[in-house]
Amino acid sequence: MKLRRIIFASTAFLLLFVKFALDVISKNIELQWTGFFLLRELLTAGVFVSIVFALHTPGGRREPNPARKLGLLLIFTLAALIATLLLGTLPADGFDQKGQQLLPLDYLTLFVSSLLSLVMGVYGLLSLRILRDLILHTRKRWTARLFWLLVILLVGTAVSTLLRPLAEPVLLALTPILFALTIVAGVANSFRLPWIVYLTRRDKLFTLAYGFFLFLCLLGLNIYFANSQLLQRSLLYYSMPLREFIRLMLVITNVYCGMAFISTLFHLPTADAFERKRSEVTSLSNLSKLITQVFDFNDLVDTVTTMTMRVCEAKSAWLEEIHWVEDVSPVLSDESPGRDMETGSPAYHVHIASLKNITPQEIAEIVPEGAASLRNAVIRERKAVIADDLAKDVRFASGGDAKRASGSMVVVPLVSHVGLSGILYVIKETSYGFVKDDVELITAFADQAAVAIENSRLIQRSIERERLLKEMMLAQEMQKKLLPQEVPVFPSLEIDAVSTPAFEVGGDYYDFMHLSPTRMGIVVGDVSGKGVSAAFYMSEVKGIFQALGRMYDSPREFMVKANDALTGSIDRHSFVSLIYGIVDVTSGYLSISRAGHCPLLHVSGKEVRYVRPNGMGLGLTAGKLFEESIEEHTLRLQPGDVCLFYTDGVTEARQDGEEFGYERLLALVQRVKDKSAAAIKNDIIATIQEFTGDQPSHDDLTVVVLKWLGNPVLRTKEFSNAEAHP
Amino acid sequence: MSDFKIAHRERDTVNVIELKGYLDAHTAPRLEEAFQNLVNGRRFNIVVNCRDLSYISSAGLGVFMAFIEDVRKNKGDIKLSNMSAKVYNVFDLLGFPLLYEIVPDEAEAVKRFTGKTK
Repeated sequence: MKLRRIIFASTAFLLLFVKFALDVISKNIELQWTGFFLLRELLTAGVFVSIVFALHTPGGRREPNPARKLGLLLIFTLAALIATLLLGTLPADGFDQKGQQLLPLDYLTLFVSSLLSLVMGVYGLLSLRILRDLILHTRKRWTARLFWLLVILLVGTAVSTLLRPLAEPVLLALTPILFALTIVAGVANSFRLPWIVYLTRRDKLFTLAYGFFLFLCLLGLNIYFANSQLLQRSLLYYSMPLREFIRLMLVITNVYCGMAFISTLFHLPTADAFERKRSEVTSLSNLSKLITQVFDFNDLVDTVTTMTMRVCEAKSAWLEEIHWVEDVSPVLSDESPGRDMETGSPAYHVHIASLKNITPQEIAEIVPEGAASLRNAVIRERKAVIADDLAKDVRFASGGDAKRASGSMVVVPLVSHVGLSGILYVIKETSYGFVKDDVELITAFADQAAVAIENSRLIQRSIERERLLKEMMLAQEMQKKLLPQEVPVFPSLEIDAVSTPAFEVGGDYYDFMHLSPTRMGIVVGDVSGKGVSAAFYMSEVKGIFQALGRMYDSPREFMVKANDALTGSIDRHSFVSLIYGIVDVTSGYLSISRAGHCPLLHVSGKEVRYVRPNGMGLGLTAGKLFEESIEEHTLRLQPGDVCLFYTDGVTEARQDGEEFGYERLLALVQRVKDKSAAAIKNDIIATIQEFTGDQPSHDDLTVVVLKWLGNPVLRTKEFSNAEAHP
Repeated sequence: MSDFKIAHRERDTVNVIELKGYLDAHTAPRLEEAFQNLVNGRRFNIVVNCRDLSYISSAGLGVFMAFIEDVRKNKGDIKLSNMSAKVYNVFDLLGFPLLYEIVPDEAEAVKRFTGKTK
């Protein structure tokens, strides 16, 4: 890249030197062979073609700002002007005209001629390049064609001068005709000024200044050239095509710059409006991109407020998020005398999601008590509210002598397809600061923002749902593992158990434990709450049961210790209801304690009853109050007796609001008491499923059935005992 | 959605909360919010009228447990009134009558507060 430039530059320099040497020689020795004239022109052409290649940047690392380009052109023009003026003042003797031939009178003239041609030639090339960039700023086909036509005409005019030595009248007329055509093409190209429109106001002012000075400088150059015989002849002597090229370029650039100046002048009054519209479009397109960028809600609202402020050049802005409270009780609505905004649930929650250039205190000052009514007005009307003068607006009367805010404010609701999701406040320092366009723009912004915010919320919600689902599956898995995989088997006792979790995991728990070869513990419980927390407490209860169960012979004692263990670790709105029984599989004695749990259902012969020793739930209260509340009952089971442990999922199974209830359960168990434990369990589950129908169970359902068969060894003895004590 | 409603009113400086419908794990947070608002407003004399409460689950019971400590620490109380037999049975099973005053009538509950403060 650099090497290429160096090669071309040195080629140009070399050719330039050869040309200069030839000129020096020809001054002293008359070289009148025919090829000499052509050789000189070829050398000149070679010099400038090399310069073109040396300057050429392939791929174009182009300055994108047209105003700066014009500035660059101004610098070149000034340089050319100064160089020309300096060269013009040198005391050169000029040329001697001999027919068609020009002869330099001294070496200084020769030097002036060479340097001037070089400077002006390079200037012509540079200005052509800048004009190309400007004209082709918007890439339109016809603009490009027109420009290349101009270039062709330029070159054509220049080359046509080579035919002059032939002195044919027809050919002599060619150059002026082409010259005129080139000027026409140049003027036509001068109307290609699309870049001016897109300039910022500041750049337009620069362009105006540049254009003006360029026009003057070029006019000066043109006049100077037209009036200076020395300069004219210098160029003419050096190379006729080059002189033609330079003349044309000076005129065309002059015209173009003049046009640019005038055009910019006309565009200036609309510059503000244009710039504003452009920034609106940019902001809106940025905002619409934002809609896809919804994973970080805070970022989103932040961008919305920042951009709103920027487009309407506001002082500060903030965004309130509105959360609607679902199914608001009618007793809390406006009509109700029992309404209490402070203690009752309000219809919506307000939360400042983002604020810019303003503190919450200032917000409270600007919209003190008026905020609620103003907010309600915006929510009701779903239209923008404009306060042109905050200081005089009655809606912002803070009452008393509180400091009044000054300036103007626009308040717009964020309304999307699902409703109102927030309110955007924008403040300017001056009163009557918001024009119609501003309000429309802020509204447009608010609409976009509402959609983005709504999308963001939806995504958050679905992420949350996904998380809950995973949590639920985890809890279900946990619960499954906490329950015993099989029931204990005894010759004297049939046991069967089932626990069916509801869709959402509840906290049902049951377990068995061999306390001694003849004694077995049975526990059924319900942990308050659902999901992972319930599963977590369940595992804690299991741990307590496994640890304390073996240590205490009496269910009551177990309950007291279990409560002590649980109360410290369970959070205060959770508790555990438990029923714990210890059965002696040789004697049939069953002692039970109940801690807030459903009573035991005992069927003995024709008698069916609920056994309900007193006792509070575990984790409700510690110490004495609990200990005093707990009772222990002991039953002596008779062969054929059925005991049912269960959770409230059984009695509270619902059908259209009606509960299965204790009565139905009692009747059911009495009806099926003669079946096996497994059959009884199945009947209970089937009956409840039939009762609830298609409605999904809202709670876990746990049933543990004990059926006392009687000790096969002691059965006869037992029987006689029973007869002895009726 | 579940049909559960909460209403709040004041009766002789006592805050009466009326519950209606099903109080379960889904609706419990709303009662929690109502209690929280009362506690935040430093109103600790609370009567919960359960006349129209048709069902209460363990999560619902948990709400009462969550606030009773705070309320009593501030010399207030949560008293319950007008319970149906079925709802009372749920409270009773768990031993709530040992922890809370449950009275048949709202007026009676209110009187216990005002009588105490006078």
